[in-house]
Amino acid sequence: MKILIADDSRVMRQIVIRTLRQAGFDGHDLVEAADGREAHDAAVAHKPDLVVSDWNMPEMTGIQVLSALRAAGNNVPFGFVTSECTAEMQNAAQAAGALFFIIKPFTPERFKEALSTVLG
Amino acid sequence: MSDQTTPTVDNLREIAEQVWSAYLDPEGIRPLMLGETSEASSGVSASVSLTGAWHGHVVVTCSSEAARNAAAAFLAMETTEVSDEDMTDVMGELANIVGGNVKSMLPAATAVSLPHVVTGAANRFPTTRQICELAGTWLDEPFSISMWQSRELAEVPAA
Repeated sequence: MKILIADDSRVMRQIVIRTLRQAGFDGHDLVEAADGREAHDAAVAHKPDLVVSDWNMPEMTGIQVLSALRAAGNNVPFGFVTSECTAEMQNAAQAAGALFFIIKPFTPERFKEALSTVLG
Repeated sequence: MSDQTTPTVDNLREIAEQVWSAYLDPEGIRPLMLGETSEASSGVSASVSLTGAWHGHVVVTCSSEAARNAAAAFLAMETTEVSDEDMTDVMGELANIVGGNVKSMLPAATAVSLPHVVTGAANRFPTTRQICELAGTWLDEPFSISMWQSRELAEVPAA
């Protein structure tokens, strides 16, 4: 499967990739995006099987990326990994069609729990 | 601003415990040792600003050596392999994680900025006052997490 990882922090993209591996999700093709616009364009161009996205990013926020994709009829499985975790954000994510909402700092166990339905 | 929405040092301690457990000390053998600390003479300071219903800053400050140790822990590499970019990126992410978690304790209409990192100079926040600080040492190097609130809001008397 192909996974798009969107986060403006290079460090956090590396940690997400490492945590995916630690959670047992090895051997997937990984695509990275460093801001929201890149994430949107990569989701269209690369047709990933899953998008794991930060919320607060330059150019477009994660929720703007998700909403734009859904508005264009793109139903790629999409979830958030973010340090911000208000009830309003979680409700907005769910309403927009997000599959999961992982809060930083996170553990491999949390990744396994959230992603196993998508990645098996 | 009521005390109900003012983060405390206990809140910072709880967030720090989660960060250390997840990234800086997953094996539980290199904890943050709380207590007095002296300001690092040549350190790294990372901050995010909170704006909207609450105005202020979350600041993570430590020595360059502590920032190097943090980067090595975050990126699972040796300290000798850590670049300056690694250090600033990791410190920015630390501020982002703490700031994001603090946001959940504040009024809903509060936004968190992207992180800002300063190296080799003091990070100053005019017209603010420090409302809490979690300070100590990590691997014998000074390390602190503090919150600063804009003074005009901080000085509103409690009801």
